[in-house]
This record gives sequence, structure tokens and C-alpha cells, in this order.
Amino acid sequence: MAVEAKPLYSSKATEHQETNAEELRKEHLMLDPMPRDEMNQMVMNAMHTTTKKYWVFLIGFGLAVVVLLFGAWGYMIANGMGVAGIRRPVFWGIFIVTFVFWIGISHAGTFVSAILRVFKAEFRRPFTRAAELMTTFGLAAGALYPLIHLGRVWVFYWMIPYPNARWLWPNFRSPLVWDFLAITTYLLSSTIYLFLPLMPDLAMARDRTTGWRHAIYKVLSLGWRGTEAEWLRLRKAIGIFAFAIIPVMFSVHTIVSWDFAVTMVVGWQSTIFGPYFIIGAILSGVSAVVTILYIIRSTMKNFDYFIRPEHFDGLGKLILIFSMAWAYFFFNEYILSWYGGEEALKQLLTLHATGPSAWVWYLMLICNVAIPWLFLWNKKIRRTPWIMFIITLLVNVGMFAERYTIIPLTLGHQRNPFDWGIYNPTIVEISIVLGTLCLFIFLYLLASRLIPLVPVWEVQEGQMSHTFRKVGKTEIPSVTELE
Amino acid sequence: MAEKEGKEKWGMVIDLDICTGCQACVTACSMENNIPFVGEDEMAYGRGMQWMRIRRYWEGEYPEVAPAHEPMLCQQCGNAPCEPVCPVFASVHSEQEQINLQVYNRCIGTRYCANNCPFSARTFNWFDYELPAPMNSYLNPDVSVRRRGIMEKCTFCVQRIVKGRQNASASGREIADGEVVPACAQACPTDAIVFGNLSDPESRVSQIARSDRAFRELEELGTDSRVTYLKGGKNYGS
Amino acid sequence: MEKNIRMVLFKEDQIDQASEAIETLHHQGISEKDISIISGVPFSEKILGRPAAWTNIPIFGIAGALVGLVIASLFNFLTPHLYKMTVGGMPLTPIPTSIVVTFELTMLGLLISILLGVIIEMISPSSGPKGYHPKISDGYIGILFTCPAATDEKTCLELQDMGAEIVDPAEVKQP
Repeated sequence: MAVEAKPLYSSKATEHQETNAEELRKEHLMLDPMPRDEMNQMVMNAMHTTTKKYWVFLIGFGLAVVVLLFGAWGYMIANGMGVAGIRRPVFWGIFIVTFVFWIGISHAGTFVSAILRVFKAEFRRPFTRAAELMTTFGLAAGALYPLIHLGRVWVFYWMIPYPNARWLWPNFRSPLVWDFLAITTYLLSSTIYLFLPLMPDLAMARDRTTGWRHAIYKVLSLGWRGTEAEWLRLRKAIGIFAFAIIPVMFSVHTIVSWDFAVTMVVGWQSTIFGPYFIIGAILSGVSAVVTILYIIRSTMKNFDYFIRPEHFDGLGKLILIFSMAWAYFFFNEYILSWYGGEEALKQLLTLHATGPSAWVWYLMLICNVAIPWLFLWNKKIRRTPWIMFIITLLVNVGMFAERYTIIPLTLGHQRNPFDWGIYNPTIVEISIVLGTLCLFIFLYLLASRLIPLVPVWEVQEGQMSHTFRKVGKTEIPSVTELE
Repeated sequence: MAEKEGKEKWGMVIDLDICTGCQACVTACSMENNIPFVGEDEMAYGRGMQWMRIRRYWEGEYPEVAPAHEPMLCQQCGNAPCEPVCPVFASVHSEQEQINLQVYNRCIGTRYCANNCPFSARTFNWFDYELPAPMNSYLNPDVSVRRRGIMEKCTFCVQRIVKGRQNASASGREIADGEVVPACAQACPTDAIVFGNLSDPESRVSQIARSDRAFRELEELGTDSRVTYLKGGKNYGS
Repeated sequence: MEKNIRMVLFKEDQIDQASEAIETLHHQGISEKDISIISGVPFSEKILGRPAAWTNIPIFGIAGALVGLVIASLFNFLTPHLYKMTVGGMPLTPIPTSIVVTFELTMLGLLISILLGVIIEMISPSSGPKGYHPKISDGYIGILFTCPAATDEKTCLELQDMGAEIVDPAEVKQP
């Protein structure tokens, strides 16, 4: 390659160098440092700002939870499961679909903050907490469904491992007990994982508040001062957690998939369901992170400083990769079932693609495969937050359609044609499903004003470790390993 | 655990070639086992509670169509898929009768067992069903009445098996072949349903089960079902 | 001899001065255990030239995992024998299903005990001089040290020459 000879240190080169650094600063949060006190102020401001609109939404969603979720659920408890649309042979309907959906969403936080932390992906820093909150609240919404769908919810505690009067314990061979254990483990550990890196930020909030907030932060920050021993303790704890929570996350969705895969149901009995569900969960989780980041960025004060196009870009690439991986697993599952030629399975696949509910199947393929593949290769699109908002919403619609195909549409079409049945959710079921969505939004709205939504110390740490380094004629960003 | 070869291993043979699809077994079963009536609309929606159903298929092309009937009930599998998935041991294997039991008191209504039953033989109490006025006097005191939110299914009329065993042991003998008859077999006008002890090779049910016409529903799944169906060519009846 | 706890603050970008200051304190005869460093972002001991800090978190984790493992084994291999129940032609205590329960409970034990460990270590008494100033979370490195009352002003002034900000002793208190 011919290299053009240019005079060293020409004025033009210096100018170019400056604009380059300027552009990089605009682009990357990590290269755009802000004094700690100002950043604290920004985060605290965002937390304290409650507009009238905020209260309207908060109260609105709170009421929606009471009416849609608890009202409809109470009605169902009082009258019986019959008010739902399920029937023989579709004994699991939209409740389990939404259950799997929420558990899938909850993989976001762990993926973003544990896996990206382990691999030191620096762009994760400003939104790890937003993603971890999704995990906790997604699980809170999802963990309601195993209760909601019980025929006799008033004795739900019989699933808890303790013996009855005849020393009979729960059946540890049942995937539902595994589910119970796995979801409990994941809910507790993701809440702890949310709490640990929060401690220094709670201390920060404690130093800047008075009254009831101060009292709460004081208790929750456990007397955090920031001594060397405390930092070491925190780093060790987060380090162990980040590694340990990854297999827990994998196990949770694997066990959810085993609820289906261990059965004799045609279309469920599949050895690939574990990884297939995990990839789907991460796809929908990472997409949901983007959706939430867009909403946070456009509604909360000061967040356009923290959440930048680079973050949408990075997450967009991940979504594209996971969309491809999802398609790979889907195709793998599909072609082997198709090639096997078992009659019931063949008919089931035909039904999914051409039956009366085929639109669900196509919706799944369009939203999970076509849309990400068509749009996300484009950097401009990845960097436009509102387009990413729409795309990621659609991906989650697609993932909901996937679970809908797998659960009611598969159960309704088993080996015996006499037992085939069509399932349609009733208003009560839809109300409960919307109710848990409102619950999630309500909890998130509440939390956004109660805890610092940006891990200030992690952003500061990142900004400290990023510097410009002169290489040849230009300055390029370089990362120092402070840890 | 390998099944212990006990004295009892109850089984059934249903001869599809002489079944007329008259639904007498369905009615008798409902009366014997306190099965609630769900009403026309619910029935049409697929929420009938019958433990025994007649599956009706049409065979042949119009105008040469003939109905084929297959009474379908819990197959009392030896390796029942419904059992291990239950988190609270509500669906269990009975060591004595070698059938599959549903423990109503323990059921919390996850409906997992019903999804995992390849025969769709299980029914769920979607609501609390009231029996209309004079009918409530017909309730069978030997069978518990189930409330909303729990699974139930055919028990091979286990209350009659128990009664038969008690009668036999009271008079100090073994249960005789044909002594225990479930409601469906009792009501069948064409004697298409034969019930008995499969562990006794000389019992009537064992002998018929060895017929050339014998097959078991979805045998390839390996659930080891205890109901054998008989069906030959089109040589009888039609 | 009467001793005072004093605190000086350095800005976070004055990390070099801060580590020099610690060395100066050493020259004054103030031992490592009479100094504690508090900061709003983590600095490793190597940066500040301090002895390695120490924590029992991994031990808590291992202990918790073992407890989880034992509980899981009891669930898997003891409880089925308390009331024998045959289901689906499966053995009473099958190994494959026990692995799932063992994994979940071991992880649960590990993760919960880490939280317990953090809480226990946070509320148990810490070594070194105690005290805090809200400016720490505004991006300052605080050096807390215990020194004889006679010389504390002199030491502080010396550190001030290096760029430190002296905190009034009345403001140094626990959060």
C-alpha cells in the first residue's frame, strides 16, 4: 500500500487530531469524564424529579395492578380456573406463556451485568443497574404465575420443601419442584446481586439526603464508608457472584424448558429445549433492556448523558447475534422434527405453519428473525434510539408468540385427533397478563425514584481507567486495568 | 422401582368390535363416581368431566362412512407419565392394586399431569359444580366429592376393588375372577368391557388380552398401560 | 499519651499525592494499622502502597455452598425414604434428578452466604481509625490516621503542603 508522505506536525494534522478526540468524547461516556460531585448531583436530581406526569402514571399503573391483576385473580380464585379459557387438552394457556416470557425477560440483568462484567465489556457500566432491576422485577412478575395458574392457590405452600403430618415431602423428581427451587434461587441471588454494587451508591445517596430517605439509605448502605477492606470485600463478593450467577441463570431457563421437555407431549419432548430456551430468553431480555433504556432516557432527567447511541449500538449488535443464534436453534429443532417424519409431529408442524393460528407462528419468525436481520446490521439504525425501541418491542412480541406457539398451540394438537382443541384466552386471563405488565412497570417506576439508577461509582471507575493515548499521529482511547 | 409381583394387577379389555358406542358405560361411571354435570355449553367447550369417554371417529369416505367407537379412560399405566411430574405426590402409583391413583386432598391443581397424559384421560374441576336437587341424593357415599381446582380421573372403581377384597378376606378366600366389576363393565350391554386381575394368567381378562386382535393404545410410548383393546378387521357387524 | 484521629482529603485525581502522603505518615512513625484510606471509587492497595486488605467472603461462600449441598443431599436421598412413594416407574432416589436439586441448593447456599458474609463483615468492628466525611462520595480520597495529640497539627500542615485539605476534627464522624 502506498503511503503518502505528509509533513510531520502539520497544522492540519493537529486539527484533525483534536476533532477526533472531541468526537470520541461525544461518542463514548467513558471518555467524557464528569467530576464526581456533578455526576452525583445529576443522578440525585434524576431520582428526585417527580413531575405531575410521573405521579399520574405511577398511580394509574398502581390502580391497574389492583384492578387488572388482583381483581381478576381474586375473581378467578373465587370462581375457579374455569373463568380462564383453558380446556381439555390445553391445560396450560397464556398464564404459562407469560410466565416463561417474564422469566425470559429476567435473564437480561444477569446477562448484561454478569457476563459483560466478567468479560469487562466497558459499555455495560451505565446501565447494569437498570438491567438488574429488570431481572428482579421481571422475576417478581413471573414468579406470580406458578401461583396464579394453580387450581388451588390457597394451598400453594404444599410445594415448599417441608414434610406433612405423615412425613411426606414434596416430590423432588418433579420439574415443578425444580422450578420452585430454581426460581427461588434466582430471585434471591439476583436481588442480592442488585444490592451489592448498590451499597456505595446508597452511601452516596445517604450523604445527600435528609429525613426518611436518609434513614432508609443509612440502614441499607450498612454503614458504608469506602475503606480499602470494604472495597475489597465488595469486589470479592461481586466477583464470586458474577461467576456463580451465570450458571444459575442458565439453569433457571433450562429448568423452565424442562417443564416441557421432560413430558411426552409431541413437540415438547426435545433434547434441544434447554439451550433453545436460554437463547430465546437472552434475546428477549437484551431487547427488553433496550426498550427500557429508551424509556428511561427519554423520560428521566440527565439520562441522555449516561445512555448514548453507543449503548444502543452495542446492545443492537448483541440482539442481532442472539437473533441469529435463536434462528439456528429454532431451525435445528424444526428440521430434525420434520425429517423424523413422525406422524403426530409432522401434523403439528403443518398446523403451526398453516393452521388457523398460523399468524402467531409467522409473527414469531418475522419479529425474531426477519426484523433484526433486516435492520440491525445497519449502524445508523442501531444508533437511533427510537427505531431500536420499536425493533426491540417487536422482538419481544415475537418471543411471546414463540412461547404461545410452544404451549397452547402445541398442547391443542396431540396424538389423538378426537382430543384436538383450540384455545383462546378469556378476558380474565388477558387482564391478569396485562396486570403483571402493569406490576412490572409500577415497580420500576417506583424504584427509579428510590434508588440511584446509574451505578455512579462504576461509571466513575470506568472514566478513570479510560484515557487517550497518543499513537502515531492520532490519539486513541486506551483502557487501564485499575483492578 | 421395579414392580413387585403382587397378587393384584388389575386390568381391562375393551372389545371395540362389539362396542356400539351406546354411552352406557359413560353414564354408569358418572353415577358411580359422583361425576358432576357441567352443562351443555361447558361440555361443548371441552370441559366435560367424564372419566370415561367414547371417542368417535368416522371411517371411510362419504357415503360409505361408518362410525368407530373407542371408549377411552385412564389406562392405569405401569410407568405413568402423569406421576413423576406432580410436585406434591398427588398422582401416585398404588402398590397394592397396581393402578394409578389421584389423591384429591393433596392435589394443588398444577394440571401438569393432564398435559403429560398421552391419552388426555384426566379431567379438571374447573368450577365447583352443584348437583341439581333430586340428583344430590344419588351421590355415592364410597366416593369423595371433589371441589374446584383439582384433577381427577378413572380409578378402575377402586372402591369396588377394596370392597371385593374385604368381602373375600372376611370369608377367608382369594378374590374370585369376576367378583370385582367396575361400573362401566357392569353397565355394558354388549359385554365389551371385561375387567379382572392380570396377574392371574387364567383370569378371563388375561385370556382375552392374549387375543390376536389385542392392541394397546400408544403402546410405543412404553407407558405399560393396563387397558387392552381388541379390534379385528371389518368382519363383524358392519 | 493522648491520641487524636485526624482526616485529610485529596481529590481523586491527586492520587499520586495521596500515596506520597501515606508514605510521609509512615516516616512520621504512624504505623499501617493507624491509617485507613476511604474513597468513593475503589483503589487497589498497590496503587496506594498499602498492605493487602483481607476478607473472609470466599470462606463464607464455601461454607454456605457446603450447607446447601448437605441440605440438597438430605432432600434427595433421605426424604423419599420417610414416606415411600412410587411414581412413574422411577427409582425412589434417582441420581439424575438429584443433580438438579443439588445444583440449585448448592448455588443458593453459596449466594446467600455471600450476602450474609458481607453483612457480617460490614457490621463487625473494622480495624484502623474510624470516621467519615460526606465529601468522600463527592470524589475525594480520605486519609484517616491516629497520631499523638502533640504532633497532629504539624503532621496535618505537612500534608496540606502536599495538596491535602484538612478536615476539622469535629466533622469527622461515622456516617
